[in-house]
Amino acid sequence: MIRVLRVLCLAAVLMLAGAAPAAAHNVTVGADLRIAQTIAGTELTIVIKGTKRVPGPLQIGVIAFQPVTDLPVALELRSVADGRTVTGVARAAYEPQYTQLTVDRTGPHELTLRAGNETAVVPFRVLVDRGSPIELLIYGGLLVAALLMIGGLLTGALARRNQAMLLTGGAAIGLTVAAMVVIFEPLLPAAPPDGAPPTVAPTVGAGAGAGAASGAQTGGRPFAQGRMATLPARPAAGEEFTLRLDLVDGSTGRPVDDLVLHHEALAHVILTSEDGRYFRHIHPLRTAPGRLEVKMRADRPGRYLAYAELERGDSGGQLITGEFSVNGDASDVSVGAETPIEAVTPLLNPAAPVAGRPTTIELSTSSTPRPWLGMTGHLIVRSQDGTFLGHVHEMGTPGPRLRFTFSFPSPGRYLAWTQYATGDHIVTAPFTINVTASGASQ
Amino acid sequence: MKRAAVAVAVLAVAVVTFLIVGRNSAPDPLRVTARRTHYAATVSIDRPTTGRVVVDVRLTSGDADSAALSTVMPAMGHAMPEITAREPEPGHFVAEGEFFPMTGVWELSIRLNGPAGEEVLTVNAPITG
Repeated sequence: MIRVLRVLCLAAVLMLAGAAPAAAHNVTVGADLRIAQTIAGTELTIVIKGTKRVPGPLQIGVIAFQPVTDLPVALELRSVADGRTVTGVARAAYEPQYTQLTVDRTGPHELTLRAGNETAVVPFRVLVDRGSPIELLIYGGLLVAALLMIGGLLTGALARRNQAMLLTGGAAIGLTVAAMVVIFEPLLPAAPPDGAPPTVAPTVGAGAGAGAASGAQTGGRPFAQGRMATLPARPAAGEEFTLRLDLVDGSTGRPVDDLVLHHEALAHVILTSEDGRYFRHIHPLRTAPGRLEVKMRADRPGRYLAYAELERGDSGGQLITGEFSVNGDASDVSVGAETPIEAVTPLLNPAAPVAGRPTTIELSTSSTPRPWLGMTGHLIVRSQDGTFLGHVHEMGTPGPRLRFTFSFPSPGRYLAWTQYATGDHIVTAPFTINVTASGASQ
Repeated sequence: MKRAAVAVAVLAVAVVTFLIVGRNSAPDPLRVTARRTHYAATVSIDRPTTGRVVVDVRLTSGDADSAALSTVMPAMGHAMPEITAREPEPGHFVAEGEFFPMTGVWELSIRLNGPAGEEVLTVNAPITG
């Protein structure tokens, strides 16, 4: 009786111990894709949730960051490889319902979004983790070890020594294999997920400029040249116009169509009037390869300065600038502000910012901000003459406060706008900062 | 035979335990030196992790009256506020605060002021834990 109890206890303990590795074996689903888009006159973030298998479900939601009443966004998902297309409709909301589309294969896809009278085509890849033979070896080894150990202990408890030794020895081998694989796994190259773009291994002896890894070019891809234009060429104050950004590869002359998401957008465009009284932070739509467009209105005549922050694949971020003029008479134009404007008095430390030294800018918010573009707060600074633009991020201050740290590059007057999302609004708070010259020598 | 099997099993368990424990251990202390025209210093961080850390700066050359420390993470474009260091003894500065809010390679700048003038020493701080 005691022997039976002993066997049962051992079996229970080993079953529990053996269950742990299996529970840790989770399939990794690709991270969500979040893309900010200024479409139908409002600021939306499209969320594509990763899938763990194909054919499988692809969940798409549209988060509204400004008040919307029942804004439908037509979705069209197309596989680039076989052209198969599925459609659906998502409704933009503060807390959106996710629309489920079916994806049949991994690899490149295009998601076409239609809202209002505007259309955007967002390219992306569906990636699914391949079952790793390494993991199979680790968990297989552990499973075999656990089973053999149970068998060994059971037979040992039942006084069958030779069989017990054989089974325990087998368990030890299983454990050793699993342990060895755990040790050497970090040294082995990881298999790319299913649907990843093809890569080329670096060529030995191909010269100093050979790619370092994965076919990546040493030093990154060539620069993208941007050309900004408005349609019509000379827009009138108060009337809708299109701001267009054509991106061209500086070394081949072909359209640049390999933009990667940079802070949750293909491009962040900051548009300001020369005097700084007009400010927009918008996310243009990809309407064709190498072409980004956004529809908007300017509320006053004069010179406008545009800055586009974007990033090519396998390259760094870059800033493309442009300018245009708006015709008309300011007196009879009425364009509502894009976002609520709040008057703020930021707390500066040091109180008189010094060029080249970190300045901390702190302000309180009307309520606790929610993340927008991956951050709780954004600070845009522009030199008075428009020759310098900075984009600073909040670094996680708790509660209804925002704190930014920035080293102003040179003395002078800077125009600043802080932005954060709260509830269903994006709040913009403009202020100015005077930066003094450093008295000490460096 | 049985002893050998037990020995192998014990060894395997020891290796797995070592790996699990080894992966969770605290990062090594950071100790780097930097030198410019007027000042040279040894910068030490006993626990280079995220959250509050203590940064110890000992001047090995030059005579500074004050030191202010700030960090940036160039890869992400993050910057943290400047923190003024206290000077418990001449040539020894200590600053405490949240210098590294996330893991990655950070750049720690030490702005030193003294009779010889102002200079900024910069060192890299890899933050892994």
